[in-house]
Parts: sequence; C-alpha cells; structure tokens
Amino acid sequence: MHSRSSPHVVVVGAGIVGAAAAFFLEAAGARVTLVEAEAPAAGATGASDGAVSVASKRPGPMMALALEARAFYRELAARGVLEGLFHPRSTFLLARGDEEASLLERHGADLAAAGERVVARSAVDLRRLLPGLGASVTAGIEVPDDGHAIGYEITARFLARSRPALRRATPVRALKLRGDRVAGVVTAQGEIAADRVIVAAGIGSAVLIGLGDVLVPRKGQMAVTDRAQPSGPAIGGHLMAATYLAAKRGISLDKPHIGLVIDPLVTGQFLIGGSREENRSDRRTDAATIAAILREALDFYPPLAGRRVIRTFAGIRTACRDGLPIVGPHPAVDGLVVATGFEGDGICLGPLMGACAARLALGEAPATDVSVLSPRRFAVREVAQ
Amino acid sequence: MSDAPVLVVGAGPAGLGAALALAQAGVPVVLTEQRDAIGGAIHRQPASPQVPKVLRPARHARSFAMLAAGLAAAGGRIDLRTSTVFLGLDGADNALIDDRRRQRVEALSPAGIILATGAVEKVHPFPGWELPGVMTAGGAQVLLKETGRAPDGPVLVAGSGPLLLAVAAQLAAAGNPPVAVLERGRPWRRPTALAAMLASPANVAEGVGYAARLLRHGVPYVTGAAVTAVRTQGDDLDVMVRHGAAERTYRVRHLLVHDGLRAGASTGITETRDGPVPVLLAGDGREILGADAAVADGRRAAAEMLALLGRGAASAGDEQTLGAARRFQAALARLCEAPPPSPPPETLVCRCEGLRVADLDHLRPDASMRELRLVGRFGMGPCQGRFCGASVAALRPDADPSLKASAVPRWPVRPVSLASLAGFGDPAARTNPRIHQDTEDR
Ligand SMILES: Cc1cc2nc3c(=O)[nH]c(=O)nc-3n(C[C@H](O)[C@H](O)[C@H](O)COP(=O)(O)OP(=O)(O)OC[C@H]3O[C@@H](n4cnc5c(N)ncnc54)[C@H](O)[C@@H]3O)c2cc1C
Ligand SMILES: Cc1cc2nc3c(=O)[nH]c(=O)nc-3n(C[C@H](O)[C@H](O)[C@H](O)COP(=O)(O)OP(=O)(O)OC[C@H]3O[C@@H](n4cnc5c(N)ncnc54)[C@H](O)[C@@H]3O)c2cc1C
Repeated sequence: MHSRSSPHVVVVGAGIVGAAAAFFLEAAGARVTLVEAEAPAAGATGASDGAVSVASKRPGPMMALALEARAFYRELAARGVLEGLFHPRSTFLLARGDEEASLLERHGADLAAAGERVVARSAVDLRRLLPGLGASVTAGIEVPDDGHAIGYEITARFLARSRPALRRATPVRALKLRGDRVAGVVTAQGEIAADRVIVAAGIGSAVLIGLGDVLVPRKGQMAVTDRAQPSGPAIGGHLMAATYLAAKRGISLDKPHIGLVIDPLVTGQFLIGGSREENRSDRRTDAATIAAILREALDFYPPLAGRRVIRTFAGIRTACRDGLPIVGPHPAVDGLVVATGFEGDGICLGPLMGACAARLALGEAPATDVSVLSPRRFAVREVAQ
Repeated sequence: MSDAPVLVVGAGPAGLGAALALAQAGVPVVLTEQRDAIGGAIHRQPASPQVPKVLRPARHARSFAMLAAGLAAAGGRIDLRTSTVFLGLDGADNALIDDRRRQRVEALSPAGIILATGAVEKVHPFPGWELPGVMTAGGAQVLLKETGRAPDGPVLVAGSGPLLLAVAAQLAAAGNPPVAVLERGRPWRRPTALAAMLASPANVAEGVGYAARLLRHGVPYVTGAAVTAVRTQGDDLDVMVRHGAAERTYRVRHLLVHDGLRAGASTGITETRDGPVPVLLAGDGREILGADAAVADGRRAAAEMLALLGRGAASAGDEQTLGAARRFQAALARLCEAPPPSPPPETLVCRCEGLRVADLDHLRPDASMRELRLVGRFGMGPCQGRFCGASVAALRPDADPSLKASAVPRWPVRPVSLASLAGFGDPAARTNPRIHQDTEDR
C-alpha cells in the first residue's frame, strides 16, 4: 500500500503507545520499523492493570484526555481493530469514613462537570450491587461508562493488524542526527536510517530525548489470583479505594504507598494492586508490600480470602515531574516525536496517544489537541547521539 | 560465621541427604516439605498402617530406613516442617514459606538454600490426554503407595521410560495387571545402550525384577508403539495406538501415561552462588540421576554449600556415584529415545487455560516465549507453566527463550492462599478462619 516515496518512520519501543503509533502510521501509508529493546509489551504495558478509566483521573487535562481516549477505544472496538478486547464495566470508587466520602463527593462533582455519568451510591446500594463488600466501606460513587483492556493484548492486536517490521532485542542507544534533523537510530546491531523517529520507549525514553531528569520511575506491585469462576468478571465492577484517588491527586509519600484497586478480569480471576514506589525501577516484588496490598483488598472485599494468589509482578510506571505525559514534536530536533510519561494511565491513553504521535510524525495535526503535553514545556539538555 | 540455618526444601532422598550432611557438619537446618510426610517421590508413605506395601526392591526400603534414622538422630539440628511449602525468594531476599497447617506465610533469612524439589513428570500431549480416566503413571503410583489402591478396571500403561515397567509391575503386584505396557522407543534395537547399563547392576536387577513380574502375569511389553489419541466411550476410554504401520484401538478404563522425568521445572529457580543468599539445586530437580544418586547429590550440594559459607571443604567423595548414575541415565535415555508423534491442532496443551495446539498456531510465527505466554496465555494459569512450559517449547523450538516471560525471579512458585499471604508481617497478626482450600499443589 505504501509507495517508494512514503516516509520511513522508526518507532522506538513496542509498548502499547509504540504499537499503536506503528499501526496508525501504516494505516496512513508510512513504512514503519518498530525497534524494541526486548519484546513487545516487555515494559509497563505487560506488567500493569488495564483500567480504561475516566473515574480515576485528575480533573483538568488528564480527565479530558481520558474521556477522548476511552471513546477512542469504543470506536476502535466498533471498527473491528480492537474487537473483543475492550470490556465495558463500572468503576466503583469506595470510601471508608467521612473524610474519604467527602473526597469522593468532590471528585464526583469534578467528573460530572467534565460530562461523565456519575451515580452516588449509599452503603446499602453498594452491598446490593457488590455482595460481599467489606463492612468498612461507608459510601461510594459508581462511574458506569468505564472499561478494561489488557495492555499486551492491545499491543499484540495492533501489531497483528499492521505487521510493521519488528526488531526484537534491539535496544536503541542513540539517535542519529544530521544537523537539526533526525536521520535514524543507532542500535547495538547497527544504524537504522529513518525520515522520522517516534520515541515511545517508556522510562527508556529519558536518555534518548535529552530533556534532563524530567522522567521518574514509579514501581507498582500487583497480585493475580486463581479463578473465582470459570469465566466472566466475578463481581460487577472495578473497585477503587478513595485513597487511590488521593495518590493520583498528588499526595506523595516516601514509604511505598498503596492505592488499592481490585479488578475482576474476564477470565474470572482478580488482579489486585498496587503500590506506588517512587524512584524504584527494579521489577522484583516483596512479600511485605504484596501482603499490605492484600490486607487492604480483604478489608474492601473479604470473599477474596477464599482465593489463591498464583502470581505477583511489578511494573515500572514512567512518571513525569509535572504530572502530565509528554507527547509532541521535540523542541530541538526536527522529525523527532516524543510520546512517554504516561505513568499509571497509559493503557487508557495509549491507543489515542499513539494515533496522535503518528499524525505528528507525519507533520499533520492530530485529531485531539495535545499541545498541553508538548515537550516544549521543558528546556532541552542534551540529546543522545 | 553466622548461626543462620541452611534452608533445605523437599524431604525426598536428595533433601534428606543434604540435611543430614549439613547437620553432621554442625550447621542448623530448616527442612521444609510440602507433603505431610517425608520420603519424596520414591519413598511415598502409606496414608495408614493398614495400606498394603507396594512392590519395590529391598534396597529402597533400606535406604529410606537409613535416612529416617539419620533424621531422628539429628534431633534438634534439623527443624523439619512438613505441610510447609517453599514459595520462593522475594525482592527483599526473604525465603518465603507457607505453613499450611497454621495457615501462615513466614519469611526465613537462611544462610543458604538447597532446593531438592524433585522432578516433574513429562507427558507429551495427544488428543484426549486431559480426559477423566487418563492419569500420569507417577500419579497412579503415588495413589498406590498412599492408599494401596490400584486404578480399577482394564488399565493400559503407555509412553516411554523405565517408570512404565515399575508402575506396571506394581499394579500387577497389587492385583490389577495392566492390559499392556506400550513403550514408544525400541530398546532391543539399542544393544550398546543395553550393554552400557550393565555397569549399574542394582538398577538392572530392579528392571529385571519388574519385567519378570510382568511376564508372570502375561502382560505384553510392546515396543515402538505410541498413543495417538484417546476418546471416551461411556465409562471407558478408546485408546488409539500406532505400532509401526499398524493402528489398533484398546478399550480400557484407565490410561496411565508417562514420558520420563524433567529436571528444573518444579520451581523455575536457578542456582546462584554469588548472591546474598546462595541457592543450590540437588537431586532430580537438578539432574535426573535416580533415587540412589539423589542422596549422594544431596550430600554433594551440602558440601558445596558448606564451602560457600566458609564452613567446610567442598568434596564429599560422591563424584563416583554421581558419574555412574549419569552414565546409566544417558544409556537409559538412548535406549528409549523416540520422538513423540506431533500433536494435531485439537490437542490440549495448557490445561489451566484450556489452550490447544491450534491456539499456539494462531500466534505470530516469530513470537518469543514471552509473547507466547503473555499474548497466548500459555502457562498463565495456576501451574504457571510448570506442566505445559516444556510442551510449548517443544512445539515452538524457534521461540527465543531469552525473551522469556520474566527477567526477575518470580514468587510464589506454588499458589498460596490469599488470606495466608495477607497475614505476612501483619502487625495485627490476625489469622483468618475463613480459609478453605486443598493442600495439593495442583
Ligand atoms: C502496576 C501498574 C498498573 C497500571 N495500571 C494501569 C491501569 O489500570 N490503567 C492504565 O491506563 N494504565 C496503567 N498503568 C500504566 C501503563 O501500564 C503505562 O502507562 C503504559 O503501559 C505505558 O506504555 P508505553 O508504551 O508508554 O511504555 P512501555 O510499555 O514501558 O513500553 C516501552 C517499551 O520501550 C522499550 N524500550 C525502552 N528503552 C528502549 C530502547 N532504548 N530501545 C528500544 N526499546 C526500548 C521497552 O522495552 C518497552 O517495551 C499501570 C502501570 C503499572 C506499572
Ligand atoms: C512420579 C515419580 C515416580 C518415580 N518412581 C520411581 C520408581 O518407581 N523407581 C525409581 O527408582 N525411581 C523413581 N522415581 C525417581 C526417583 O523418585 C527420584 O530419582 C528420587 O526420588 C529423586 O529424589 P529427590 O529428592 O531429588 O526428589 P523427590 O523424591 O521428588 O522429592 C522432592 C520433594 O520435594 C517436595 N517439594 C517439591 N516442591 C516443594 C516446595 N515448593 N515446597 C516444599 N516441598 C516441596 C516434594 O513434595 C517431594 O517430597 C520417580 C520419580 C517421580 C517424579
């Protein structure tokens, strides 16, 4: 479908964002080489939960973007691209005590103001909707239009539907520049020439794009249970503690902070998370943190006591110091587009941000206004070349 | 020199051999065993004294009696904890153990760890292997040893390796001789391998004993015959068998399958000598060398551990025993060498997730092991690939194993009660009475 004159774009990183970018680039007629240090979804995308959630977002640009990103999931599912992979379901934000309840009230108002459907739920309602719910839950709000998607499944689907040249086990060491323009990438296995480059390498982007130490790793640990039933979500929605919102709304602690989510997967299993551990980039899990997460989980939903934990894992979120992702043309290098810093929201935002990065790389305006995410807000340090 | 104990996991011959050697050297040992009794695969103990004894050579009974006596004599030096499952090493270098009787997960800080967790039985998948009535030969043997009960009705034993003979003879001795033993290999066509085995007379005598028992009961030992598929037929099974160019169907109640033993798969943890907590493997879990050599290999690992910890010299003089066992096992492997028929698309591969060969065929041909697991979900269920991992690897020989599922050591290596794990390090230390679950590891 592409001609000799179509541009060759190298995308660095085959996480959800890079895979989406590759898909939309190919759809627009570009030739794409996807260069990945390990394997598709080897980073945060393969070690995360998959809440496609507006409910959890900070008011402001993140909430607005999440609304568009979630609508984009619905659209891609309807168009067939992501058919069967987007699972609509409610998010229940749950409060234990008055202080948390008033935080939820405020958050519910913010969501409603952004145009999101929100239903206030009494403790009695909640127990009817979620039999087994813990006694300490006093109030909640239901956000009925959220959904779920598994990061590595979305990544695999984008790759299956576009089939870009995929280079596994090929870490990019530097960008190749010609004057102020990007000319390709330098890998351990040699150079790859390119007309444009998208860096979507998660935490690995930091050394390539030269914006200084604006990116911080934030580790998250999670646990997976066996099946509560042969298939289908075992409870009627995604449970999220009000304290998770507190964490998202900018409360930062030195000790591993736990923002509890209990996610009923379509397999009948539960995914339970997660910690937010600042400046940690190792992928190991420890029993103390996992146990603390599980104690919180049991408090919210005691029937989990009958489950078995079959796996624990940790993923590394790429957080940006000012709390917003970085998406846009590089301030100093022509032909270079950056798409990283999605912290705990990249599964939700990934397909849309990949589509935006693709448009930007082709010199077109994206359908969504992402100028607030532009890397131009940072001073350029040194680009690795 | 610290007084921290060495953790030995698994109270089979290898773990017992290691624990006794460490205790003898004056080192305290914590010995954990997931079952409620010591013995391991070969010395599985009857559930009650009324259970009739299973046919086996006297030397195995003697060997076990010596290990049990040694354990009793070691007294306080060996802290034996049965019904206690080793869950792995976590990111804080805790050795995690799950005491299933007290429903508690605890951390130990051992000076070193010896993993003697045994082998996993190989079963090459064929259509129908998952049906009720089909079980592993080893599983049937365990049942026989623990309960004295042989599977009822007509039984067919099939696959490859010496365990087929042992189990068939034990079934015969227990009153239900199998219809036939089908060996996929053609041992009679490998005279040099047969000759090489004569260097291990005790093992050969054991094999001959089993063969004689089968002969006496008129049980045919058919070589070069492989199961191609199984179907249910009422309460029975129709087992399709290919023997050279011929096909034949056996109608039986039970099919026992077994394709040898696999080392290493039981925990997925590899040896480390230079980490904060050295980890060594011993016995079948390290290398399949048989029951006699397992004790020696446990001693060998103990000696190496003592050397690593600066508490002794490295050699225990077991190299000869191990070398002989290695030669014997190599000859055995050559003797029965025969590739299994390649399984058709409808064959189940991953039992936990219900995935078939066809599902594997749908994944990108260049997919790495990591993608087969994450995207294909092969090995994502409760067994975490302990049973299907090897089948997937065999069906996708080109999948890059270096891009495996996880770069870091994973725990738990066995499923663990969520409530027990939640209690770990809990300041409130509540124990949860609501727990109800089996203690089997599958
Ligand atoms: C525990 C946890 C829970 C989460 N839960 C949610 C959730 O519920 N909802 C949600 O929306 N988000 C969630 N997230 C966040 C989400 O997972 C991430 O934001 C998202 O996966 C980021 O995708 P990405 O493509 O930007 O980065 P990544 O997935 O990290 O991909 C980057 C890729 O680049 C590769 N790479 C790195 N350096 C190089 C290099 N030099 N050369 C070549 N390749 C390179 C990496 O190997 C990797 O494959 C969670 C994250 C974690 C850790
Ligand atoms: C099914 C089977 C049948 C066999 N039958 C015969 C036979 O008939 N004749 C013969 O000569 N040889 C037989 N063998 C081989 C022989 O048993 C072995 O060579 C020998 O027992 C190996 O000893 P080991 O100590 O290495 O392992 P094992 O004897 O397998 O002992 C391992 C022990 O570790 C325990 N364990 C495993 N994981 C954990 C964990 N995470 N936490 C705590 N404990 C754990 C297990 O419960 C077990 O007790 C058989 C092997 C198997 C697997």
